[in-house]
Amino acid sequence: MYQSFIGLEIHIHLLTKTKAFCGCTSEFGAPPNTHICPVCLGYPGVLPAANEEAMRMSYMVAKILHCTLSPKCYFDRKNYFYPDMTKNYQISQFHDPVGRDGYFDIEVEGEHKRVRIHDVHLEEDAGKMIHSGKTSLCDYNRAGTSLLEIVTEPDLVTGKDAEAFIREFRRMVRHLGVCDGNMEEGSLRCDANVSINLQGQGLGTKTEVKNLNSARFVRKALEYEIKRQKRVLTKGEKVIQETRLWDGDNNVTAGMRTKEKAHDYRYFPEPDMPPFCPDDAFMAAVDERMVELPLAKKQRYLNDLKLSLDAAEFLVEDSKFCDLFEAALALESSEPKLVANWLCGDVQGQLKRADVSLEESHISAGRLNELVGLVESGKLLRGKAKEVIELIINDDKDPAVIVKEQGFEQVLDESQIDDWVKQAIDGNPQAVEQIQAGNKKTLSFLVGQVMRFSKGKADPKKATEKLEQALGL
Amino acid sequence: MTLLQGWKGVLSDDRTKENYKQYVTGWEEKIHSLLEFDIDRNAESAAAGPLAGVPFAVKDNIAVKNFNLTCGSKILETLNSPYTATAVERLQAAGARVVGKTNLDEFGMGSSTDNSALAQTNNPWNLNAVAGGSSGGSAAAVAAGLVPFALGSDTGGSVRQPASFCGCLGLKPTYGSVSRFGLVAYASSLEVIGVLAKEVDVMEAVYDIIAGRDEKDQSSVARPEVAPHTEIKKVGVLRQIAELSPAIEAAYQAAIEQVKSLGLEVVEIDIPALDYVVPAYYTIATAEASANLARYTGIRYGHRTADDSSMEQMVAASRNEGFGDEVKLRILLGTYVLRSGFQDQYYIRAQKIRTAIRNGFDEAFQAVDVMLTPVFPTQSFLRGEGELTPFQQKLADKFTAAANLAGIPALTYPTGVAGGLPTAMQLLAPDFAEHRMFELVRRLTDEQGNIAPVGYDEGWRK
Amino acid sequence: MNVNELKTTAQLAMLDIPDPEKLAQAFTEMLENFSKMMEVDVEGLEPTTHALAQGNRLRNDTPRGTDESDALLARAPARKDRFFKIPNVL
Ligand SMILES: [Mg+2]
Ligand SMILES: [Zn+2]
Repeated sequence: MYQSFIGLEIHIHLLTKTKAFCGCTSEFGAPPNTHICPVCLGYPGVLPAANEEAMRMSYMVAKILHCTLSPKCYFDRKNYFYPDMTKNYQISQFHDPVGRDGYFDIEVEGEHKRVRIHDVHLEEDAGKMIHSGKTSLCDYNRAGTSLLEIVTEPDLVTGKDAEAFIREFRRMVRHLGVCDGNMEEGSLRCDANVSINLQGQGLGTKTEVKNLNSARFVRKALEYEIKRQKRVLTKGEKVIQETRLWDGDNNVTAGMRTKEKAHDYRYFPEPDMPPFCPDDAFMAAVDERMVELPLAKKQRYLNDLKLSLDAAEFLVEDSKFCDLFEAALALESSEPKLVANWLCGDVQGQLKRADVSLEESHISAGRLNELVGLVESGKLLRGKAKEVIELIINDDKDPAVIVKEQGFEQVLDESQIDDWVKQAIDGNPQAVEQIQAGNKKTLSFLVGQVMRFSKGKADPKKATEKLEQALGL
Repeated sequence: MTLLQGWKGVLSDDRTKENYKQYVTGWEEKIHSLLEFDIDRNAESAAAGPLAGVPFAVKDNIAVKNFNLTCGSKILETLNSPYTATAVERLQAAGARVVGKTNLDEFGMGSSTDNSALAQTNNPWNLNAVAGGSSGGSAAAVAAGLVPFALGSDTGGSVRQPASFCGCLGLKPTYGSVSRFGLVAYASSLEVIGVLAKEVDVMEAVYDIIAGRDEKDQSSVARPEVAPHTEIKKVGVLRQIAELSPAIEAAYQAAIEQVKSLGLEVVEIDIPALDYVVPAYYTIATAEASANLARYTGIRYGHRTADDSSMEQMVAASRNEGFGDEVKLRILLGTYVLRSGFQDQYYIRAQKIRTAIRNGFDEAFQAVDVMLTPVFPTQSFLRGEGELTPFQQKLADKFTAAANLAGIPALTYPTGVAGGLPTAMQLLAPDFAEHRMFELVRRLTDEQGNIAPVGYDEGWRK
Repeated sequence: MNVNELKTTAQLAMLDIPDPEKLAQAFTEMLENFSKMMEVDVEGLEPTTHALAQGNRLRNDTPRGTDESDALLARAPARKDRFFKIPNVL
């Protein structure tokens, strides 16, 4: 029986304002070669200057991954020629990276797995190239942006493991606020190493799979690659150590045709930047920005706050929802389940309908509590809550104010409801006949009439009760 | 004496400007020290300040906006610099004006400036003799009086050796005390921008302006608030010095006697690791160079071959056409010593020997305040017969390169003339003790008189 | 020094050496000089990677104001619109 070993190399773009070693903005989507300067273009005479925020974020990730943090890290030059790299060496870390020997816990189909982290290192990204006909075109906007590379040990076994790792890791970096996690745009990239071998024989000859721009592709490509390697070994052939590209259209991996070329990165310490030794102030700033890991958060929501699995999973998917949720609970001792349900339900639904993100909207923890309170105390009809949320999103007003302005208060005056009930019965003799003949469904028509007279402000439950009473049901 | 008297008005009116141009042009026909000369370019940068209106020249591997940045190489022959080096900016802020870019050995690799792909610079003392290198253009320009001072760069002696060949002062400051931002990298961990001048007061003023930490150079270091004391009592000399030319040997002995005559104690120092300066220096320098010069591929700037048949071909041919033989040799050596399997025996070992050399100097400066050594085993050499081979030139870097490996400051000063060419000696001091060396040089050269080639000054500055 | 080693090295350095035999001599001469370093007892010595490191140096994450991109593009040996143009690398 074969055993499989998967290791991942994940690259994340750090959410710094500027590039790793120069003051160019690291925004995406600008016209080609607008965010360039002599430094990131590798002009003669320029020097790199390390970005404090990039260093801080790197230590944050290394710390949350339980790595041993380097008391003295420095950059190395990794030498190889490629046109997307302006200096023809990449500033990276090799000998003494930010962190080493950590781990990250994931959950695969309910089962917890611990994946060891080999190292976390900070480096610079390369530019982008477009190939057309006889020429290639280089855009260096991305060149020199800060990239954090996380290398796992080959502890993952299946494509599903790898997919779960990517999803959990993505949640983590988003919660930490160091990366937007967008795989399609390449802010989070993943290469996978995979080998198989007979049980108990250790690692086999590995292949490296690239071009995996979604978590699903990571799973599919690895499942394919494991099957392919099994076929090769079963035939008595040998797996060739190579880089293979995932072809998402045909669902296969294919070997890259590479030219026979000597490879030797000749790493040596980057002389232009001194070693960095994190001091107490730096580490305090790192600690201040540490967050609870999403997986731990989910467990806490389930076990301590008794949220439903759906609600817990929905919330941890987006740290902004978690933050709002926890802020609301901190403000008022509301029922967690209730607050969570409103967030996952109507709040999320209305945001989606309005195509507004939570941060852009005017929803706050205080307003969320107020809304829940109005409904619970019967001052606002459930059916009107959606409209209130819609108005908060766009108008920046408190729920109580909206309810008042819009006249959304529930009518609690019994005699007023009695009048509408009478009006409904008197105005619809046919319906009354049908009900009394045993067609109970028609009752809802009369309830609807009462609601119409009340412009929606009556409590439909109360209206039903009163109608039944009046009709002697 | 007022600093730089006679230079401050040179660029102020048409008549003096014309005089100046004529003087420079007259010399340049013979020495070719400048790759570019334009007294009006960047004129707007001349501000008020201690150096208001003073012209200076900059080695052509240091960036000055609107001037070229050729590094003496075909590969950058057409590159106009889009930015200015920090050291130059600081001088401009003090009122000085760049009037020219000086010739050099390609990318600073050489000891004669004959490795320039763009011009041949001659020694103002003897046009058949080399100016030294790699800052030969800066040394020749200062020695001939074309500018009161010039910037050079010193990786293994590139300021000091040409200064000694041409008869002017050469300063290699403490590593990192002058920003390298804008200095085209050859060997990043060894080199620093230095100053060439005729007068020690000018050198000191320039150094004080350009020194200091720069945010753009994270390897730059702040000078200590309190400068190391300048009082000098003991001068160290190396116990074993062999293979000096007779003229240099004589100058060395005379310098030791002069030190004694000033009432200073001469102490013999032994640093065994100095025997390995040359291999350690060339291993580290070429290793760093191999990475630093990888960026020249004809893609983003600089020379690009006509051969567009493939990416690899385009890059290799551009580099092949653009680089001279010495540069290629050093890139290859550096690539080799970093290769896996060889790195431990060459590069890592050299870095450890570097530590031993540094330790040796640290120990020496416990015993003495400064050290006195030769600069180079010979005076400037004549082209053709008697010329040192490129290999012999490299071996001769032992006295200068030691300071680069250790990071300490060093200063060379002219001691006299022999056979129609200048002789010179070198002072070495602990980190940041530049002023201690200025002080000692003032005393050593106090009664020396002007050591200058025929035709120097000629009284054109009225 | 074997010429094949020199060729491999040249390939890593993206240099096209027309006459490796000629260069090999100067190369060997230097390598022999480097070998002298084997005489030194380096036991217990840390390599010096940075000459005079004076504590941490980091830059604020603040974008610079100026846009020099057009001037830099103007220096490109070959370009198409706002791209640097090279022979196809695929
Ligand atoms: Mg990497
Ligand atoms: Zn930039």
